[in-house]
Amino acid sequence: MDLHNNSHPESGRLEQIISQFLLKSLHIILDSRIPSLHPHDRSGDFQSSSRVRKSDKWFNLVLGDRPAALDNLNFWQRNVMDPMIIDIILVRRGTTSSSVDDLYSSMADRTPIETVMERWIVQYNTQRVMAPQTGESSASCKKIYKKSTILLRSLYSQLRLLPAHRIFRQLSSSSQTYNFDIIYKVSSFCEPFSWSEEEMMKEYSFMPVEALPGHLSLSVTFRPSLSDFNLEPLATFPPKIITDYVGSPTTDPLRSFPSSDRGDRATSFPLKGIRPLISTPFQRPHSWTSGFHRAAPFMANQSLGGSPPAYRTSPMPYNFPHTPSGTYGHRIQSCRPPTHQRATGNDEYELSPPFSPSMSPSTPTYFSSGSPLQTRITSETAPVTIPFPKSGRSSRYLSPNFSDPSKNSLPPLSPKSTRHDPSSQESPSGIRSIRKPEALRAGELNSGIASHYSGHKILKDGKDDSGRFSGLLSSSGSPHIGFSRSSSRLSFQDDLDDGDFSCPFDVDDVDTSDSPNRYFSFPHFSMCQCRYNLFACLTVKKSLID
Amino acid sequence: MNCEVCQLKELEVEHFEIREVLRCILHTIVFHRALGLVRPKDIDLELFDITYVQCGDIEVEKKIDEKIEQFVSWVEKHPNKKSEICLSFYEVKSKHPSWFTNKIERLDWEQWHINLNVTQHPKPKAHSGKSHHSKIVVDPGESASEERSVRRASLEVSLREVLFQIIKFVNEKKDHVPPITESVIYFPYEIHIPRKFL
Repeated sequence: MDLHNNSHPESGRLEQIISQFLLKSLHIILDSRIPSLHPHDRSGDFQSSSRVRKSDKWFNLVLGDRPAALDNLNFWQRNVMDPMIIDIILVRRGTTSSSVDDLYSSMADRTPIETVMERWIVQYNTQRVMAPQTGESSASCKKIYKKSTILLRSLYSQLRLLPAHRIFRQLSSSSQTYNFDIIYKVSSFCEPFSWSEEEMMKEYSFMPVEALPGHLSLSVTFRPSLSDFNLEPLATFPPKIITDYVGSPTTDPLRSFPSSDRGDRATSFPLKGIRPLISTPFQRPHSWTSGFHRAAPFMANQSLGGSPPAYRTSPMPYNFPHTPSGTYGHRIQSCRPPTHQRATGNDEYELSPPFSPSMSPSTPTYFSSGSPLQTRITSETAPVTIPFPKSGRSSRYLSPNFSDPSKNSLPPLSPKSTRHDPSSQESPSGIRSIRKPEALRAGELNSGIASHYSGHKILKDGKDDSGRFSGLLSSSGSPHIGFSRSSSRLSFQDDLDDGDFSCPFDVDDVDTSDSPNRYFSFPHFSMCQCRYNLFACLTVKKSLID
Repeated sequence: MNCEVCQLKELEVEHFEIREVLRCILHTIVFHRALGLVRPKDIDLELFDITYVQCGDIEVEKKIDEKIEQFVSWVEKHPNKKSEICLSFYEVKSKHPSWFTNKIERLDWEQWHINLNVTQHPKPKAHSGKSHHSKIVVDPGESASEERSVRRASLEVSLREVLFQIIKFVNEKKDHVPPITESVIYFPYEIHIPRKFL
């Protein structure tokens, strides 16, 4: 039944409640399971935010920013009859004989293994056409809204009691790197579990909310135990001091740096807490947010065929707006290949954020068009050097190279930057990485110089992007360049809220003053400016060392 | 209006576990009945590997902590006894309003009974030679700590079951919940120890 065709105004309200319920439930689930999508202090740093968004008012549950992934789910707004199936997938990196070998083995040796930990199904079921009862519909909408509100609270609590929450917490809160990560997949239908998988899973169904002519149902199939999986932190290496980094008074400033044939391979820094440098093609924050927050999972995924090459955008069968955020890969088509637990290599998979590359030519693509397996992430790095530019314009590593993805690299972010970077949204313009054939010297990073990559517009006006700035953070606190994590695309959801039916239980906005920039507090830099700031940073670093 | 009653599964707790257990249960219930605009707050228990949700309201937090302290004081005076703490949600209505009287009555529409069996497990003691009995050689730490670990694990499982029980109940029984009113974050509630236990 198409609620649109019902000319009764209450049917429009009902449809609005249903579509918002679907979005809110997806928001709750992703927020509670995917660390990379919406990293924030789990004690609720949005408690301190006084801003109440329109989306928060729905069902009276303040969740903060919606992940950009939800921006592309407007098809559910068009047809609320489609079930929404959310798979929460544990991605584990296959291991070799030893953990040390793991670090240096090629990507092909470590194949990712996917396991569906949870499958949530949110659906509005209707079996017959039934006109809403006139005269009671307003009251019934209020009841439906109240019951939906209670149901969403139960969902919120339930998510914290299921076994997968422990893994989410582990990934979210720890600064360690792990050999696993959590990704998700949203679709309108998928293949059922195999018999063996069903045997290992349990099901829980919430009591449906009657919303005539149908009812809202919410259920989950989950693994009651995840102890079988070898989920452990990766070994880290002690800090290593590099004495011949650029800028040292003892270093010959005109020394030429050896060209590296590892330009397309990621190197990482041995310094604890320094995120590995990833020499990968254009990266967009969203598609690798999980990596920037936890190097190992990202590394693991990177190592799973190069960050993860397995995760490719698949053509969307629906009239799906393919925005840069489309890389989040919401599949509306059928689920992945039959097996839910398998080793994956270079096979292409349906898109599963946050590892999905952008298909838009205007946005950076994370994965090289060539062999993504060349991307290599290790926990330890050989000394990396920055070629001293002969001229201000010829610096290879300074100019973003959009045409040679294999030469791009990204400097690691300090853990602090990650911790204080709850936003997972990338700027619509994306981030361009500075082409950097050689990896950075760990020492430079150690001293706080980390501006080895920048976007074409490094820092956007925070006000344009919900007040979030971009900035590389380093332990030294020197100005940095990073990537913005905001998206202006979220605003369209708020636009949808501006229907003639507002939340029936609107509450007054609490303090609507703009929240301070709680993520970054660094000045903006233009694309050109960052290049020069890099030199400035190098100089600053030198002075710090001195 | 019906008053729905939920008897939660009895939990065997030690004295030092009371606060965490009660805080977890009471906040979970209130969160599900705080239908106004809330900012949920995840709280990880220290004694158990459980995360529960608070509604984020400071007044709620204060009231619950205050009631828990009262309960703990009562338990200290009545050790090794089964006890119950009751959380009631109510509505205030005028009873037979007239020009001369305006009695207000409180109608409970939901009651939660949290059953606790507070046990005090004695610590192992080594007897001196003065006793005419033979020396009691006590295995000091291991068996007691193992026993405590087993008890703790069992309590964690039971506490998780209680939380699932709460979720199940709030989802099955919704019709009796009063309508959400603007600017009201949570329904009025009271926490008390039933008289039969006093």
